[in-house]
Amino acid sequence: MRNNLQKLRVFLLFSALMVASVLAANAQTREVTGTVLDGTLKDPLPGVSVVVKGTTRGTVTDLDGNFRLSVQSGDEALVFSFVGFETYEVAIGNQSTFNIELDEDIQSLQEAVVIGYGTQDKKEITSAVTSVGREDFNRGNFTNPAQLLQGKVAGLSVTRPGGNPNALPEVRLRGISSFGANQSPLYVIDGVIGGTIDMVDPNDIETIDVLKDASAGAIYGTRGAAGVILITTKKGSSKAGFANVQVNTFGTYEQATNLIPVLSPEEFVARGGVDFGSRTDWRDEVTQSPINATTNVTLSGGFENTNYSASVNYRNNDGIVKGTNRETLNTRFNLNHGALNNRLRFNVNLFLNNTDATDVNGEAVRYATIYNPTAPIFENGEENVNDQFGGYFQRPLFDFYNPVAMINQQQFNTQVKTAVMAYRVEYDITDKITVSGQYTQDRLNTLRGASFSRQDFQVGFGRLGQAEQETFDRFTSIVTGTIRYEDEIFDGMNFTLLLGGESQMFNERGFTAASTRFLQDQGWNNLGAGGLRLGPGTEMSSFANRAVLNSAFARANFNYRNIYFLSASVRSETYSGFGSDNQTGYFPAVSLGADLSQALDMGIFNQFKIRGSFGIAGQRPQEPTLALAIFQNGNRIPLDPDNPNSVFVGINQTTNPNPQLKWETTTEYNFGLDYGIFNGKVTGTMDYWRRNVADLLFNTFIGRGVPNPFLPGAFNRVDNTWANVADFESSGFEFLASVNNIQLGSVSWTPSVNFTIYQRPKITSLGAGGIQLPELRAGVPGAPGQNNNPIVWNRLGERIGDFYGPRTLGVTEGGELINTTNNPDDFERLGNALPTGDFGFSNTFIYGSWDLNFLLRGSWGHMIYNSFRGFYENADGASTTWNSVITNNTPTSPLVTSTPTFSDLYLERGDFLRLDNLQIGYNVASRSNNISNFRLYAGVQNLFTITQFSGVDPEVRWTDSADDNNPLAPGIERRNTYFLPRIWQLGLTISIK
Amino acid sequence: MKIIKNIKIALASGLLLFSTSACWELEQEVLTGIPQENLIITDELIEVLKQSAYGSVSVGGSWGGHDGIYAVQEVSSDEMAIPQKGADWEDGGIWLRTHRHTWLAVDGPYNNAWGYCFGIVGETNNLLVQFPDIPELAAEMKILRALAYLWLIDNFGNVPIITETSLGSIPQSPREEVFAFIEESILENVDVLTRDNVRINLNYWTAHMILAKLYLNAEVYTGNARWADAERILDVIINEGPYSLAPNFFANFVTNNANSPENMFTLPYDSNNNGGFNIHQMSFHYGNQQTFELQEQPWNGYAALEEFYNSFDDGDVRKGSLREGPQFQSDGITPVIDDAYDGDPDGPELVFTPQINELAPNAFRQAGTRVNKFEIQLGAGPDLNNDFPVFRYADVLLMKAEAAWRQGNNAVALQFVNQVRERANVPNLTTLDANTLLAERGREMFAEGWRRSDLIRFGRFNQPWWEKGTSQPFRNIFPIPLNVIQANPIYQQNPGY
Repeated sequence: MRNNLQKLRVFLLFSALMVASVLAANAQTREVTGTVLDGTLKDPLPGVSVVVKGTTRGTVTDLDGNFRLSVQSGDEALVFSFVGFETYEVAIGNQSTFNIELDEDIQSLQEAVVIGYGTQDKKEITSAVTSVGREDFNRGNFTNPAQLLQGKVAGLSVTRPGGNPNALPEVRLRGISSFGANQSPLYVIDGVIGGTIDMVDPNDIETIDVLKDASAGAIYGTRGAAGVILITTKKGSSKAGFANVQVNTFGTYEQATNLIPVLSPEEFVARGGVDFGSRTDWRDEVTQSPINATTNVTLSGGFENTNYSASVNYRNNDGIVKGTNRETLNTRFNLNHGALNNRLRFNVNLFLNNTDATDVNGEAVRYATIYNPTAPIFENGEENVNDQFGGYFQRPLFDFYNPVAMINQQQFNTQVKTAVMAYRVEYDITDKITVSGQYTQDRLNTLRGASFSRQDFQVGFGRLGQAEQETFDRFTSIVTGTIRYEDEIFDGMNFTLLLGGESQMFNERGFTAASTRFLQDQGWNNLGAGGLRLGPGTEMSSFANRAVLNSAFARANFNYRNIYFLSASVRSETYSGFGSDNQTGYFPAVSLGADLSQALDMGIFNQFKIRGSFGIAGQRPQEPTLALAIFQNGNRIPLDPDNPNSVFVGINQTTNPNPQLKWETTTEYNFGLDYGIFNGKVTGTMDYWRRNVADLLFNTFIGRGVPNPFLPGAFNRVDNTWANVADFESSGFEFLASVNNIQLGSVSWTPSVNFTIYQRPKITSLGAGGIQLPELRAGVPGAPGQNNNPIVWNRLGERIGDFYGPRTLGVTEGGELINTTNNPDDFERLGNALPTGDFGFSNTFIYGSWDLNFLLRGSWGHMIYNSFRGFYENADGASTTWNSVITNNTPTSPLVTSTPTFSDLYLERGDFLRLDNLQIGYNVASRSNNISNFRLYAGVQNLFTITQFSGVDPEVRWTDSADDNNPLAPGIERRNTYFLPRIWQLGLTISIK
Repeated sequence: MKIIKNIKIALASGLLLFSTSACWELEQEVLTGIPQENLIITDELIEVLKQSAYGSVSVGGSWGGHDGIYAVQEVSSDEMAIPQKGADWEDGGIWLRTHRHTWLAVDGPYNNAWGYCFGIVGETNNLLVQFPDIPELAAEMKILRALAYLWLIDNFGNVPIITETSLGSIPQSPREEVFAFIEESILENVDVLTRDNVRINLNYWTAHMILAKLYLNAEVYTGNARWADAERILDVIINEGPYSLAPNFFANFVTNNANSPENMFTLPYDSNNNGGFNIHQMSFHYGNQQTFELQEQPWNGYAALEEFYNSFDDGDVRKGSLREGPQFQSDGITPVIDDAYDGDPDGPELVFTPQINELAPNAFRQAGTRVNKFEIQLGAGPDLNNDFPVFRYADVLLMKAEAAWRQGNNAVALQFVNQVRERANVPNLTTLDANTLLAERGREMFAEGWRRSDLIRFGRFNQPWWEKGTSQPFRNIFPIPLNVIQANPIYQQNPGY
C-alpha cells in the first residue's frame, strides 16, 4: 500500500513536469488544421502529404482529408502534394485553418478516353472524339442526358423544340445520317450497349465521350452508324473503407414564354369574328407555372478489392401545360470486385428506371391559341356532369374543340419500365493478354393508356366514350467476348490488339385493346365495360418480332514513342433481316495521327497532332421482316354472309417483299488537328469531315400492281417498298477552342467556343430496282385545306430539305396575295430547312467560393415553315371562326384575305442566339468533419432568345413530328408544338461522410 | 503454381467459349403473320384468299369513299362539287381543279385512283401465280382483273397490261389493246363462272355486265362503236339472269341492302368488318352529327350542283337522293345551329339550299344539297354498313335502252327507260333523245360513280357547266400520275398533259 502511494506521488510529479514543459513548448509552436479536397469533385483527399516547406516536418491527411500539424514561428509555408494532382503551396502567416483544394495535374495524368470496347489515352486518339466532363456539362433541370451536351460539342446537335417534359430530344451527329434507318446515335453506358439514354440520370454521369466519325464508331458496327455516345457514370472509390454520400436536390419554377400573339377578343370581333359573348384567354386557362423538384442521392465507397456505387434519382416535373407531368425514379447500382491480385475482375451494372408520363392531346395547344376568344369555358359558368359535354362550351363547327375540355376529358398515360443488367468478367491471362466476357439484358416495358370521356366532343362523344390500353415490350440480349493483347513489340512501339465477337438478339412484343360505348366513364382500367369491341375506335391486336445480329471484330492500335499513332479495325456483321445473299457486311476503319510537337520544336505549341481517318459503318432497317413475303391481316370476311360464325380475317400481303434489301453504308473521311498552345493554356481541335451515305434504306413509291422489281414472279400489293433507294454526300467543319483560367484580377475565366459549319447533304443518286426517281416529296401542311401539297422536295442532285412552292410577290389593295403561280409544275425553290452552322459559347467564372457558368448557343442558315402563320394569320372567311395570329412577320397593311396556301410568305429564317442556361454557385466552407462539400446554386434556362422567327421555337427541326419523324420533311414547326418554358432553378449539393 | 495455371486456362477457355458459342441462328423468324411458304393450302384458305382479293375492290377511299377513284368520277362530273369554304376544303386546289377540269398529274386523287386499280391487278396476279391449277379461281381472278382494267381504260386510257406472267418493266399499251385484253379476258373465262346470284363476288352475269360496259363505250375507247354487241350481251342478262327491279327504289341503298333483287355486284361494306363507305361523312354538314347521332363529325364537302338538283321532277321519288331544307337534331324538332354564321342568307339555322353561292373561296357552309341516297343509320360510325352497288339491274335496263336507241330502235329504248321511270313514280317518256336519256341516267345513277363515263360517252364532258368552262377533249382521260411516271420512266404521259 505504501509502495503504491509512493508510485502515485512520483507519477503526479512527473505529470506536472510534463504539463509544464508542454506549456513551455506551446509558446514557440502552434497547431494548424485543415481539409484537403479534390478541386474538381469536391471529394476529400486522403493520404495527401502536408509538409512544412524546407523541413521534413509534416503529416498526411486522414480518410476524411483532414490534417493537424504543429508549426513553428519561423515556418513560411505549407506544401501539399499528392500523386496526380498539382502541388500546392500556401503561406502560413497567422492562419490556423487551411481548406485546400488540389487541382488535377493535367500534364501528368493520362486522360483516359472511353472508346469502343476499351479506353485509350487521349493523346493516342486519332479519330474525331470529343470528351466532355461533368464540370463542362450544361447546368439546369435536364431530364435527358443528351441535353447536358447541347451546344458543347461541335457537330453534335441536340434539339427539343417546345418544352414538353415528356418529349425526347432529337440528337444528330454531323447532321442527317439516314432516311429510313436509325438516325440517333448509339448510347453505350459503362460499356453496356443500347438501351435508351433515358435509363441513366444526368446527375449520375461523370463523363460523356462522343465518337463523331465513322472510324471511331465502326467498331460498334451497324448500331454505331449514326455516331456513338459513350457515357461513364460516377464510380465508387477504390480507397479502402472510404464511403461518401452525395445529395443533390433542386427545385424549379417554370413559366410559359414566347406565346404567339393572337387577336384580343375585341379585335377578333372587330374583324368579323363570331361573338359568343364571353372573354376567355385560352392560353391562360391551359397553362400553369409549376414548381418541380428533383433529388439525387449517390452512395459510393469501397473495401479492399471491391468498390461500389449506387444512386437514386427522383424527378417529378409538371409541364407548363396543365395535365402534363413526368415522374421518374431511377436507380443505378455498380459493383466492381478484383480477385487474384486484381487480375480477375467482376463487374455488375444494374439500371432500373420507372417513368410515369402523363400527357395531353397535343392539339389542345393549337386550340388554346386559336379557339374563339369570346367563347366561355362552360356553357353555364360551371361543370355539369349531366350535360352532354360535361357543361363545357362546344359547338358543332369544323375543327373547333374547347381546349380546356380537351385537356380534362382526354387522358393519356405512359408507364415505362427499363431494366438493364450487365455482367462482366475480365481476366488477365498474362500481363499482356486480357480476356473478357459480358452478358447484357436490356428490357423495356411500356404500358400506355388512353381514354376519351363520353362527354369529350372530339372523340368520345359520338362513341359514348372510348378507352384503350397498349403494351409494348422490348428485350435485347447481347453476348460479347473480347481478347486484348498489349505489348511493346519493339523499342518505342506499343501495340494493342483487340479481337471480339458479339451476338445480339432483338425481341419485341406488343398488345393493344380498345373498346367504346361505356355506360359511364371508367378510363382504361375497365375495357370490358365498353359495349363495342369491333369497329372504329376499338382494337384487339398483338404482334411480335425478333431479329439476330452476329458480329466479329478486330482492332489494332500502334503507338510509336507517343509521336505516331495508327488504329485499324474491321467488323463483320450478319443480320437476319436482310435477304439471304445480303446478310453480311464488312465495315473497316483506319485512322492515323502524329503529334508533331513531340518530334519537332513547334514553338508555342505544346501539342500539334494532325490526324486522318477513314471508316465505313452499316445501317439496317428498323423492321426485320421486310425481305420476306408475309401474309398479314385483311378485312374480316364472313364466308357465309348468313352465318355469323363463319367470319375469318382475310389475309393479304401488306408489304412488298424485297429479298435484295441490303446494308446501308456510311463512308466517312475525317481530317483533324488537336492543338495546345502556351503549355496547355489554350487547347482545341479542328475537324473536317466528308460523308457518303450509300444505299439509303427508305420506304419508297414503286407503285401497286407492277411486277415486284426485287422478286420476279411477285406483284406489288402496296405502293411503297422498303429498298436501298438513294445516296447522298455531306461534309462539315468543326472547331473548338478553350482558354483555361484567364485571370481577371481575382476572377478566373475559362471561355470555350465551338462551332460547326455544315455543307448540307446533297442527293447524288435516287431510285431503286433499276428505276431513277427525280425526287421524294414530303411535308404536307395538313387540314384544313392544305392536305395535298408537300412543301419539302428532296430532288436528285439537290440538297435534302429544300422548300418548294410559289413566291409571294405582293398583296393587292383588297388583300389578295399575288403569288408567282398556283401550278405545282412551276414551283421554285424557296429555301432550305437544314442549318449551315451551329455554335456554342460556354463560360466559367470562378471568384473565391463563387462560380458562374453560362452557355450561349445558336444555329443559323435554316428556314422554318411557321404553321401557325400558314393557317391562321390571313383574314379569310375562316377567321370568323378561329382566332388569328398576329406576329412580327404578319403583313397587316393591308391584311391578307386570301385563303391560306403555302408560299414563301410563311417561311422564316430560323437563325437564333439563345442564352440557354446560366448558373451561379457558392461553395459554403464547411466547419463539420462530416460534410465535405456544401454548394448552393441558382440558375435559369432559356433566359432569352434573339431571332427573327415568329413561331414558338427557332430550334432546327430535323424531322417531321407529324409524319413519323420523317427526315425528308425537316423545317416544319407544327401547330401542336408545346409552349416554350423559361425555367428558374434553386438547388444545393451536399457531400456527407 | 500449376494449379493457378490450370485455373487461368480454364477461365480463359471458359470466356472464349462463352463468347463464341453464343451466336444465335440467323434465319429470320416470322412471329406475326404467315410467310408465304408456310401457308397450309385448304379449300377454306383458298376461299379466304379469294375474298381477300375482293377486299382490294372495297378498300377505303375507293367506291363511296373520299380522295380516290370515286371522288374523281363524281367531282369531275356535273353531279357534285366540293365547294371551298375558306381554308376548309381548299386542299391545294385539287377539288377546284377537278371540278374545273384543270387537274394536274401531281394531284393525289388521280394517283390514288391509279393505285387502286393496279392494287386489284397485283392482288389477282399474285393469286394466279400462287394457284395456277384451280380453274374456277383462275377464271374469276382474270375477270376481276378485267374489271380493274375496265376502270383503267375508262380513266387513264393507255395503261400497261400486267398479267401473271409479266416480269420487269411493262410498257403501256394503246387503248385498243387494253380493250382487246378486257374483251378476251371475259370471253375466255366467263363460262367457268357461277350463275348463282352471289352479289359480293363476280359471276357469269356480272362478267357480262363488264363486257356490256366495255362495248357500250367502245366508240370512246377505240373509235369503233359496238352498240349491237352491247345490246346482245345485255339481253343475256335481262333474258336469262336472276335480277329484277326492287319495288322500292331506296331498298337498294338501305343499311341492310344485301338482299335487294336488283343489286348485282356489291362491295360488302361493313362498319365493323370492312370499312370504306364514308359518303355521309364526306357530304353532310358538321352539325348533322346531331341529326344522325354520328360517332364522328361529318366533313361538309360533297354537294350536288343546283342544275343537277333541278333535273328531278318534284314527284320523282329519286329526288330524295338529295337532302334539302332545314336540318334537325335526332329528335326531328330541334334545329341544328351553325354558330359561326358566315353570312348565309338562311341564318344560323342549318338549311341546305340547292343554290351554292360560289365554288370558291367562300362558299356558304350550308349551301348545296347533300347525298341522301344511302340510308344513314342512327348512331352510324364513319363507315356505313350499306353495301355499295357497283352493278345494278336498273343500269342494265338503261344501258339496254341506250344501246337500242343508238341503233335507232326508239320503241325498245322507251320500253326499257320507262320501266325505270315507273318505279320512280314519274310519267312515261314518249320520245327519247340524248338529253333525256343522259338526264334519266343521271337521276337514276346519281352518286354511283358512273356520271363521268356517261358524260364522255354522250359528248358532254367538255361542255361548260356551273363554275366550269369548256374543257379540252384530252381531259376525257386523266394524266398518268406524277408518282407513277417518275417510278416508271418508260411510260409516256397521256397526250395534252
